[in-house]
Amino acid sequence: MINIQDMRDTARDLLTKNEVRAVIGYRRSSSGMNAEPVVITTPEQADELVWDPTCFHNLSLYLVEDRKFLAHTRNNPGRPIAIVAKGCDARAIVVLMQEHYFKREEVYIIGMSCEGSGVLVERKLAANGIQATNASFDGDDYVFTTAQGEKRLPAREIMADRCLECRIPYPREHNVVLGEDKTGRELAEPFAALKRFEERDAGERWIFWERQFDRCIRCFACRSVCPMCYCEECVVDSISFPVNAQTTAEEKANRVRWIERSAVRSENITYHLTRAMHLAGRCIDCNECERVCPVNIPLRLLNNKMEREAREQFGYEPGASIGAPALVASFLDNDPEKFIR
Amino acid sequence: MPDNIYLPELARVVHIKEEVAGERSIKTFRIEPVNGEAFAHECGQCAMLSIFGRGEMMISIASSPLIKEYKQFSIMRVGRVSAAFHELQVGDVIGIRGPYGNSFPVDDWRGKNLFFIGGGCGLAPIWPVITTAVAQRDYFKKITVFYGGRSPRDIMYRAELEKLRGDVDLQLSVDKTEDGWNGYCGFVPANVMDKAPSADNAIAITCGPPIMIKFVIQNLHQLGFADEHIFTTIENKMKCGLGKCGRCNVGKDYVCTKGPVYSWAQLKGLPEEY
Amino acid sequence: MEKILGKKQIDDWIAALSEWEILAPSVEDGIWAYRALSGAVRLDHSNTTQPPKGLSFPQREVFFSFEQIKGEPPRLTQKMPTATRRAVFGVRPCDGAGAVRMDMVFSDHVADPYYQTRRKNLAYVGLACNKPQGSNCFCLSVGGSPVATEGMDVLMTDLGDRYYVSAVTETGKALMAAAAKLFAAPTSVDKKLVERTHADAVAQPQRAVKNVDAVPAKLKASFKSPLWEELARACIGCGVCTFLCPTCHCFDINDESTGASPVKGNRVRTWDNCQFPDFTMHTSGHNPRESLGSRLRQRVSHKFQYFQENFGMPQCTGCGRCISECSVGIDIITTVNKVTEHAG
Repeated sequence: MINIQDMRDTARDLLTKNEVRAVIGYRRSSSGMNAEPVVITTPEQADELVWDPTCFHNLSLYLVEDRKFLAHTRNNPGRPIAIVAKGCDARAIVVLMQEHYFKREEVYIIGMSCEGSGVLVERKLAANGIQATNASFDGDDYVFTTAQGEKRLPAREIMADRCLECRIPYPREHNVVLGEDKTGRELAEPFAALKRFEERDAGERWIFWERQFDRCIRCFACRSVCPMCYCEECVVDSISFPVNAQTTAEEKANRVRWIERSAVRSENITYHLTRAMHLAGRCIDCNECERVCPVNIPLRLLNNKMEREAREQFGYEPGASIGAPALVASFLDNDPEKFIR
Repeated sequence: MPDNIYLPELARVVHIKEEVAGERSIKTFRIEPVNGEAFAHECGQCAMLSIFGRGEMMISIASSPLIKEYKQFSIMRVGRVSAAFHELQVGDVIGIRGPYGNSFPVDDWRGKNLFFIGGGCGLAPIWPVITTAVAQRDYFKKITVFYGGRSPRDIMYRAELEKLRGDVDLQLSVDKTEDGWNGYCGFVPANVMDKAPSADNAIAITCGPPIMIKFVIQNLHQLGFADEHIFTTIENKMKCGLGKCGRCNVGKDYVCTKGPVYSWAQLKGLPEEY
Repeated sequence: MEKILGKKQIDDWIAALSEWEILAPSVEDGIWAYRALSGAVRLDHSNTTQPPKGLSFPQREVFFSFEQIKGEPPRLTQKMPTATRRAVFGVRPCDGAGAVRMDMVFSDHVADPYYQTRRKNLAYVGLACNKPQGSNCFCLSVGGSPVATEGMDVLMTDLGDRYYVSAVTETGKALMAAAAKLFAAPTSVDKKLVERTHADAVAQPQRAVKNVDAVPAKLKASFKSPLWEELARACIGCGVCTFLCPTCHCFDINDESTGASPVKGNRVRTWDNCQFPDFTMHTSGHNPRESLGSRLRQRVSHKFQYFQENFGMPQCTGCGRCISECSVGIDIITTVNKVTEHAG
């Protein structure tokens, strides 16, 4: 089992020796049980870092933010930035490197194995009637601090579906790694939730999706939290295209509005389906989009569907190797479609 | 105010003049109401103009309130709606609602010397003040207009400006001179400094690019102008014009209702978020 | 007017309100919201994910439609909402307080006809919070109370097997009068019990913004503080905090085309918010609030300084949604407290 102190020592050591300019990790939030992202820059701050079942966040988002900031300020920091990464997060980092967003030597990965478990789901926890101020790992259990004392639950009862179904709960790409590699653990079949959903007939599924998308308030939390949604200009939101002194009146005047601002079914569906298509072969199932959705839209079903298509049709596994080409930048010699040859 | 504050009145374009050509072209539009009378406005106020299907934009009214039959707007082609304006023909019908915002306290300035300092398309918002002051010439003492553009071809209202000579001391300048130009060459703030107008019993009104305004104000301070006697206008993105949509919020002010006209004394108290 | 209503009678009361469309909290797909009532009313919600704000200020409002044949004047058709009377049951005091603040914005300077038409036909039948509904409630520290009547037409207090029902407005009295015989006069025991229940509610521990009266001056002094960028470091720039807020009112107006020849479409108002990067961007590309820190500062300062200066109260009612629903732990209480502590 991972000793939190090891993670703190690693971060402190990196900062003390000036090997990295900052460490992106987790700390306790001010508002309750959950962890929150933090960027620490001094060795003293290392003691703030935490590691527990509420470390949901895919911190690679902040690597993207960091690159954008450096590009904006035209700063070349020289030293890498360190990041605490779970198996899924490390795969996201690999995808970003496959897409040349940054180079391997610019990032120092402090890998964290999820070992026997993964992160919890707040709604599942609430359904168990637990209001906790703290959560921690303990073997196959999660342990909670509550007003009524310590409570213990088997992790798999409230674990995120994506963690139950995770095939590689271990950050293969890392500079240093903490915890055992438990790849091969079988908590649930991959794509099990998707499979259950697909048992419904098409008409029923369409009615289901209409109801889900009708609820969307277009807060764009799903896009904002996604490390793969790094485009400066988002096709679904022509209102926020980047304008600078060089942008001509012509360009601004002729901007196509693909999707209107109104949160209505047609626009919401176009938004979500376009995003799902753009994540095909890139989404590594961190499922942050679904977690941050304030109105519970089950976005994982969409992203999982695309992931399974890429895997079954092309044998493609996103984030498996830095050297591998991106899905849309590769082809198979034996592709059944003729257009490719 | 009409019952429905968001419903524009229809207005017809009766005259179009190309002020400045090129990439950042400016056209001046005169519009008249399709039905009834146009709303009354004061110097410095703005109106929300619509092209249906493209959207709305807030533009300062560039004609004097003394002119009742039409309103004039000078519009640079910079975005979605302004580009559509540049496609308009005489006779086309657009939407207009307003007037919005506060105004220059012109009546308080009677008996004073007025210094107008404008740059580029910043002449439009102060043009109603200049033309109103000239129309009421006896109320004011010396009127001086400093105005500059990038080149002689970027000078707006050229013919109208020339007609003011005699009533006002007109000081034109260009950043880059060309053959036939006999005005000043150099930046507007430097021109102001060269002529060094006295701050005595005087009001300075400036509008133009932010960088110009910054230096103009520094220079006016050097010349002894008090913050209360320097006026300018600010702009922010606006959607409603009514202090509700929140876009133009700067500190406790909504620029669309509390602005766009500010004395430098007032503006100093606002966060620099414009 | 103060009355007692047996809990089992609430459905009879609602049945008597035949001239009203009834909305009440319900849960669908895990989301609590005020929806058209079907079946028996249930008031066992903690609070809804979104406040009832959208009932008077919907996320999408069509102002008018337009049609223009080339060379001809456009035809505009105003789309004023229909005046359906709606009674909303179970509104929590923080959201009642939110409605008061929304009313100020949409009647200040000039009245917004769309908002007013919806709002004047809307009645709030509130439910006092006998205990905080979540760990991030902080109404007491921002001038509110878990038993406040602000913004309500009726306030109900749960007394176990019965409700203590107080009419706050004339509309509230009319709602109760529609089923007068269901209501009983409160006994002295009822009166004592409601007093004690309210006193207990107010005594429950809550999180708190410290010394809210001193906050505006301290925020003003902290405008240039580097803390803003630090506190916004994890912010992802989404619209959750504002879209779930009972008082955020910012919006956008756009023309949505439904046809090109002739030009046809609708002028539409949609919610917008100060956390989106393009909210303040000028056509020139200049953006007065480019950074996440400046946008966090705007949200917080608007609520705790600018609104206070304009309307004499904070524009935050302590519902805690922006904290609980923020995916990265941005916490308005901590933010205000840290910035003001730093200001000394």
